[in-house]
Amino acid sequence: MALAKGGTTPPSTRFRRTDADGALRTCIVLLVVSLVMFTASVREGDSGGVFSTTRGIWMTITTPIRWVGGALTAPFEGLGNVIDNLTADQEHLSDLKAENERLVARNAELEEAEQTARRLESLLGLQSLYNLQSTAARIISGSTDSWSSTVTIDKGTSAGLAVGMPVTDSNGAIGQIVKCGPASSTVRLITDENSAVSAMIQSSRAQGVLRGSVDGTLHLTLVRTDQMVEVGDTVVTSGLGGVFPKGLPVGKVLSVERTSGSLYYEIEVEPLSSTEGFEEVLVITSLTEDQKATAADVAEADQQDTTAGTAAQTSEEGEADDESADEDTEAASDELVADGDYQDTQDIGDEG
Amino acid sequence: MQVKDNNRNRRDFALLAVLCLFLQVAIAPNIALGNGRANMALVFVGITSLLVGGQISVLCGFIAGLVFDLSTTGPIGLMAFLLTLGSFVVGIEARNRLADDFRGSLTIFAILALAVSLAYHVSMFLVGEATSLIDVVFLRTIPTLVLTILAFAPFAYVISHATGSALSLKGKPSKSARSHGSRYDLDI
Repeated sequence: MALAKGGTTPPSTRFRRTDADGALRTCIVLLVVSLVMFTASVREGDSGGVFSTTRGIWMTITTPIRWVGGALTAPFEGLGNVIDNLTADQEHLSDLKAENERLVARNAELEEAEQTARRLESLLGLQSLYNLQSTAARIISGSTDSWSSTVTIDKGTSAGLAVGMPVTDSNGAIGQIVKCGPASSTVRLITDENSAVSAMIQSSRAQGVLRGSVDGTLHLTLVRTDQMVEVGDTVVTSGLGGVFPKGLPVGKVLSVERTSGSLYYEIEVEPLSSTEGFEEVLVITSLTEDQKATAADVAEADQQDTTAGTAAQTSEEGEADDESADEDTEAASDELVADGDYQDTQDIGDEG
Repeated sequence: MQVKDNNRNRRDFALLAVLCLFLQVAIAPNIALGNGRANMALVFVGITSLLVGGQISVLCGFIAGLVFDLSTTGPIGLMAFLLTLGSFVVGIEARNRLADDFRGSLTIFAILALAVSLAYHVSMFLVGEATSLIDVVFLRTIPTLVLTILAFAPFAYVISHATGSALSLKGKPSKSARSHGSRYDLDI
């Protein structure tokens, strides 16, 4: 009534109050909508419902923009290396020079070996060691959020790709497809915190699970302490689980620690591959029989942990933690053999 | 004399939205500080809330959050929720501030960015995406916050110092103008 009479309430206050009321109503409605979408999205997971479809469409629409972004930022990718080089001390440069000379000599040796191998291959009709049935793709973008370590590649379902397929570059495994749109796919890197890949030490065949971490390093877990592990050892995929081909290199052992009373080593692994260069990658579309872990491999992995459990019980007989060691061993055995390769267990579990 | 040109305002906001979208999808993924990446959706929401406020900024917050959610691998709706709420709070309390108070706007945006980034990452932690809260705060939230504020600063500077833009409407708003609601009403 006061407003109608033009008396007590100033126009500015009326305007602000009306606008604020409208904003409040809109805000409440949109908050409810957001919460419903969030709940439905979490419940849907990666089962391929309406949200996955929408995200796929969005990825397809924005793929050209990602291309442009990748092209624009590519010249600056090496900037970090340039700064490192400029600030390197003399000793470091001398080491690099010596390393370079050694590598040149080694390269010549390997080129000779490669020629020999090619001749043998052509003669015997053998295929290369990693006879991967794969599709080439190119990394066009890094992770959009700060939460996950992922890259986007320029191939999707239209090129025959699917969620769960492993991805490699020239150095070895880099990750696994977790989202797949028609024209692009998202690859979760092995360095992602939620990534875990069945792996083993190449020389001693000690089985373990390679996990990513938030700081970008890799950790090989569940390798029992009576196995041989040395700094510099190559870590390769074990093929358990049938996702990654057996024997694909993933990193080198950076450090090995043995904690007193622990059944397992703490092993830090340096990844062999880097996605910073926006390189070409290979998406492995299927595995041949000889690339899969055999029943003997699975039994061996199982045996390693069974032995570890027995050893722990023997060495710590009478001590109070026998029971917990046994439980640890059972859990580790389950993780190594039953799950096999997995990155983000929810994703792969659904796929499997 | 101040002239409200709604068409020009809409055009400028559409341009800003497209620019932020491009930066979010094309550039931000390729520029990282540790695990952090700039959140251009948050930048867009900060600008609209500090300039326009009210209903329009709430809508912008929701849409920008949805676009962010679609661009990531996380659950859809979380960032939309946070940006809707953030844009409402900032839009009600600090509308029109960007045009005449660059430092104050930067401070308010920093608080908004900290709240949204922290809430987003802690929510992801609570749904089981990480095992360490310290990692979540120091290796994800803070780098994201720093990059987002760095991305916001040039936008805020240009808008607060622009003289020919419809967003600034040739001059600083008077106290009376600020008390009459937003001069940048888009009449949606």
